[in-house]
Amino acid sequence: MRLTRRTFFKLGGAAGALTLAGPAPAAGAASKVPGGSMKAVLVDTTKCVGCRACEAACAEANGLSGPELAGDDRVFAAPRTTSTRAFTVVNRYPGHDGAPDRFVKRQCMHCVEPACASACLARAIEKTPEGPVVYHGDRCLGCRYCMVACPFEVPKFEYESATPFIRKCTFCPERQAKGLEPACTSVCPTGALTFGTRATLLLEARQRVYGSPEKYAQEIYGELEAGGTSWMYIGDRPLEKVGLPASVPNVAFSSLTQPALAAVPFVLTLWPPLLMGLYTFSQRRNGVDAAATTDTHEVRHE
Amino acid sequence: MIPHDILTLYGAKGLEYVIAIAFLVLFVPFWRYAMGTRPAPEPAIVRAAQAAPAHSDLVEWFRVARDVFYHPGHAWARAAEAAGAVLVGADDFAQKLVGPLRTIELPAPGTAVRQGEPAWRLHAGDKTLDMLSPVDGVVTAVNREVLDNPGLLRDDPYGAGWLLQVQSPRFAAQRKGLLSGRMAHRWIEDATNALRLRMSPDLGLAMQDGGVPVDGIAQALAPEDWDRVAREFLLS
Amino acid sequence: MSSRPATLTAPQPWFTEKVLMGQPWAEYRRGLFTPFNAVAAFVLAIGIPIIVYRFAAGLGATTNLSQTNPWGIWIGFDMLCGVALAAGGYTLATTVYIFGLDDYHPVVRPAVLTGFLGYVFAVLGLMCDLGRPWNLPIPMVYSFGTTSVMFEVGWCVMLYTIVLALEFSPALFQWLGWQTLRTYLLRATIGLTVAAVMLSTLHQSSLGALFLMAPTKLHPLWYSPFIPIFFFVSSIVAGLSMVIVESSLSHRAFQSRVDHHVDMDKLVLGLARAASVILFAYVFLRLQGLADSGRTDLLATPLGLWFIAEIVLFAAVPCLLFAHGARTRNATLVRWTAGWSVLGIVVYRLNVSVVAYNWEAAERYIPSWMEVWTSLTLVTTGILVFRWIVNRMPVLRDESGH
Repeated sequence: MRLTRRTFFKLGGAAGALTLAGPAPAAGAASKVPGGSMKAVLVDTTKCVGCRACEAACAEANGLSGPELAGDDRVFAAPRTTSTRAFTVVNRYPGHDGAPDRFVKRQCMHCVEPACASACLARAIEKTPEGPVVYHGDRCLGCRYCMVACPFEVPKFEYESATPFIRKCTFCPERQAKGLEPACTSVCPTGALTFGTRATLLLEARQRVYGSPEKYAQEIYGELEAGGTSWMYIGDRPLEKVGLPASVPNVAFSSLTQPALAAVPFVLTLWPPLLMGLYTFSQRRNGVDAAATTDTHEVRHE
Repeated sequence: MIPHDILTLYGAKGLEYVIAIAFLVLFVPFWRYAMGTRPAPEPAIVRAAQAAPAHSDLVEWFRVARDVFYHPGHAWARAAEAAGAVLVGADDFAQKLVGPLRTIELPAPGTAVRQGEPAWRLHAGDKTLDMLSPVDGVVTAVNREVLDNPGLLRDDPYGAGWLLQVQSPRFAAQRKGLLSGRMAHRWIEDATNALRLRMSPDLGLAMQDGGVPVDGIAQALAPEDWDRVAREFLLS
Repeated sequence: MSSRPATLTAPQPWFTEKVLMGQPWAEYRRGLFTPFNAVAAFVLAIGIPIIVYRFAAGLGATTNLSQTNPWGIWIGFDMLCGVALAAGGYTLATTVYIFGLDDYHPVVRPAVLTGFLGYVFAVLGLMCDLGRPWNLPIPMVYSFGTTSVMFEVGWCVMLYTIVLALEFSPALFQWLGWQTLRTYLLRATIGLTVAAVMLSTLHQSSLGALFLMAPTKLHPLWYSPFIPIFFFVSSIVAGLSMVIVESSLSHRAFQSRVDHHVDMDKLVLGLARAASVILFAYVFLRLQGLADSGRTDLLATPLGLWFIAEIVLFAAVPCLLFAHGARTRNATLVRWTAGWSVLGIVVYRLNVSVVAYNWEAAERYIPSWMEVWTSLTLVTTGILVFRWIVNRMPVLRDESGH
């Protein structure tokens, strides 16, 4: 779809007004929202026009070869996933019964409590306090457990390489450190991507969604999924219908393995007395069976 | 997946209780079924002993009885019921060392034996070996069954394979000079190690099958003059 | 007491005596030409170049792993099954040293050896699977991902392999003639056994706990917060069954090395009795997991039927056969059942890691022939090493103490 200057200004103006119109959150709001003070992005799928400027900006910022089929709408023929060479993709979901097509940008969700980070045995993936979930290739073993753990199927592995790394969206921490926005959100022409703190954006999302129930489906994807993600989605149809994984439990995935790990110190503490008790008991029983004047057991163990 | 709504939760937890109770109810009959017609627990390591009480142990390859006293020449002595009566025989080491016996020559009742002096004779192959008596005394009885069936010595050297009954009034004092219990075990271990040192590698492998690998270790070690080897151990 | 005699045979060079088993080189070389060795050579001749290729060209060139299916049979079989089937080490050590059931002494050392080699080759399989195996020291030395179950697995497996090596070392030292070291290590047996049980409890269960991280990917009938318990209990069964299988095969293959005075049938029946009781409990535990999942509606689907088949055919049936075989003193039935039980353990772990994992994904994972051949190569090499050790060191024979 071609973007006319008129449409651009209409959408841009509306987006700007909306951003300015919202009241500033009360001082305590950030602490109530998990990861409230961390940086986040609100993706409003009703605003995305599929221009894929975000894909181009991401490729340039990360030194990747440009997005595939740039400017060619045939790229939307089937939904794509991110890959080791494309950290973000925009997919098109056709509308039914006269509803417009919707475009949905996919990338790492930068969860508040990332499954991948809790799964990594070498801390090669870590959640930073500012928000981005970052990857340190120098520590990575290539075990691919992060890929198993991520419910959004984000981490991608360089199978074609003999020295493979995991590749995924970084949330541009170097740019954020300089006070800039991530590459993708900085070039979005329609305001589909809004960069801010998670608490602010959640409030913004609620205002849009609950304020205009005729325009938005009543859900904020990422508010609770996997314990909360930094990239949150709203749209005019249920987001599971536009490619986002359905039935992701509303718990931080690290809590799923916590009970198993919590058992470790208990086993290390309780097993020795238990086993030594059994040992003493069995030794005594064996001693009773043997004749009185014997050193059999000592001999047997020599 | 994990959470259920409260209504299915009732059903799920209820089902769990049912399964647990079913398990407990079925467990006892299953246990009895599985433990089933097991005979009274017996050691898995086969003992050749029959009439002899199970009072001997396996020290490596050789059976060592717990309630006997050993002479360094591999004869044993044990107090019998009658006062001053002592049963005497050859130990498992001696028997395995020498191997299958043609016959045994035992002293006639009334013969005097002295501790450390040759008391009886083993005939194996075409060689003859003396064994030393473990006690002083006078022979009051010999084991006729062993004379007829020297194999008894192999099957049950400490029980039915006894050789002599000796009247030994000073046994209580004399047995202080004999080996028993832990000392006897150590001594047999040392003897076994001494045997091992002599073994060539392939013989060693065959013998390390455990149990009694060959009948007549001495013969396996030195086919020509095995009696010389045997006498080194039997001190005769 | 006899004085130290002169040796009756000339001592042979250490290499000839210890490594060539006392045979001259020509004779030893001739003895190598057996059918089994021919098959093994064929497997290795193809397998070793494949492994080299895997490291040279990367995982994409040799495996059918993908972005959707990051784990395949090198994790599902080599790692998960290898570790489970090597559980005989700690189960038999517990039976003999903790429970004091000395009757099982003849099988504890081969079980420990099977355990040790099982873990070594499971870890080698893991090395093949890791994308960057040279970074393995990192989580061991300075970057500790303590929230990760994988971290715990890695550490426990590493420590346990060391414990197994120490448990086996008296046999090695006996072979080398290092008596002092051997005596010293024998004293540590109880401590090593306690450590072995602790570490095994932890990592056998944690290998299952790995999959707790994938509630959206693992089929609801297999996904359960009790996976760690299922893996741990089934590992005990795996260990006992594998000891029965291994002892049966060893006694056939190594006739000359075996202690013929040991009543193996009796031991095998005893192990079968234990395995049947544990399997009985395991079946009910799996049913509890089913109830807890709240998804009994899924039993009517193809995967649901496979779930039922897995529990009935591969857990309940061996349970009953073990019990029946033990009860009727049918050692042959027990041995075949043990083989079936081993298969059942493999089926369970492959189900969790490959079949029920990503069950809704369009793209199914089938291992590539190179993946299968690599696993085959590792197993074959493990058998060859096992045979080499058993032929030379006191493993199948009952010597003083151990």
